[in-house]
Amino acid sequence: MTKRIPSKISRGSAELAILSLLADQPFYGFEIAKQIGERTGGALQFTLASLYPLLYEMEKRGWVEGRWQANHAGRDRRYYRLTPSGRKQLAPLRKEWRSFFQALDALAGVSHA
Amino acid sequence: MPDWRKIVLQRLGESYGSCRQDIVEELAAHLEEIYEAGRERGFDEAEALRRTLQEAGDWRVLAAEIARAKPEEDSMNQQRTRKLWLPALASITFTAVLLVIFDKMHASPLTVGLGHLAMMLQLAWFAAMPLLGQTQPEEARMNQRTRTIWLPGFVTLTAASLFLFAEEFVLTRDPSSYMTDLSLRPQHVVSGLPLWLYGAWLLAQVPCGAVGAFLSRRGGGSIVARIVAGAFPALMMLLLFVVVIPISVVVERNAYVLSHPSVVVLAILIWAGGPGVALLIGAAPFLKESTPQPA
Repeated sequence: MTKRIPSKISRGSAELAILSLLADQPFYGFEIAKQIGERTGGALQFTLASLYPLLYEMEKRGWVEGRWQANHAGRDRRYYRLTPSGRKQLAPLRKEWRSFFQALDALAGVSHA
Repeated sequence: MPDWRKIVLQRLGESYGSCRQDIVEELAAHLEEIYEAGRERGFDEAEALRRTLQEAGDWRVLAAEIARAKPEEDSMNQQRTRKLWLPALASITFTAVLLVIFDKMHASPLTVGLGHLAMMLQLAWFAAMPLLGQTQPEEARMNQRTRTIWLPGFVTLTAASLFLFAEEFVLTRDPSSYMTDLSLRPQHVVSGLPLWLYGAWLLAQVPCGAVGAFLSRRGGGSIVARIVAGAFPALMMLLLFVVVIPISVVVERNAYVLSHPSVVVLAILIWAGGPGVALLIGAAPFLKESTPQPA
């Protein structure tokens, strides 16, 4: 999953990261990994091995939907977009993680900001 | 540039190639971009390749995780082949043989005409099967290929066929002549239809091709998908002439065609080549890039 954050936390955070990213616009796999890596300063890094099983799992749950489209270079890529069901998942997930960080902050003085 | 598709296939196992082609394509595309990014960062080919392959970690684990995350696709494809494609092929072959028998028995023109019509309907059904196959709730969402190729192609084929039927009906008022001119009797290959009718039909293909390509583009189809959807009727004709009619010719021992194989080429040019060009002319405005959003 990620290399800089221990696995159990990152496992849960990965879904949130992907859903949040796709809420703005569709991306294909390589772009998803690249965008998340860049936007988190490298704290969250997806490899091919960690990304695709998760994407397929999320697709199976109906949270995201993949469609083949040509990218700007004219190459066919599978773009993932958020489904209405995925969008519904996003708000409670965000709330859960906010609560988690608040609890951690209260306990250990760790701020998520 | 390494052949990423081949690399992914070798490492995931050859079985992926036949039933999980989209996964292979997707992983190969991902590796390709990592490799190119590595090369742009200044790594030599060997180092870029090594770093790229590291992305997948243990391929056996990856294959197992993908199988766990996306298990239904295999069985879906296999089921579709077993329940739809094979019976459809058998059905079309049966109709072809039946047509030959009709011909041998000198059946009435109406019977032969209806036989040809049945053949066209079966080909259309064959094309529409991906839609018919999606009957389970899990499969209810149309997949990308259905949305961008099969559905637009079916619409185009239906429209193109209706034009021909309508023209023939207006011309002859005789349903028995429907599609009989497709048969490889020498006189039909060239002069089976009056030239003006053929020309009008060709013109009618232009909007048909446009509709197919437009629907495919609207569904997010790639350039290739739009071309296939737009030229679908011509491709079906090609299928008819390359697969079905040669069987008929051999079975009925059509001496003329066997000794003049150029008749088949001519028929392909008239019934698939000409319409193909007209369909692609109609599809052309919809082949420009439109939708994707680069990062």
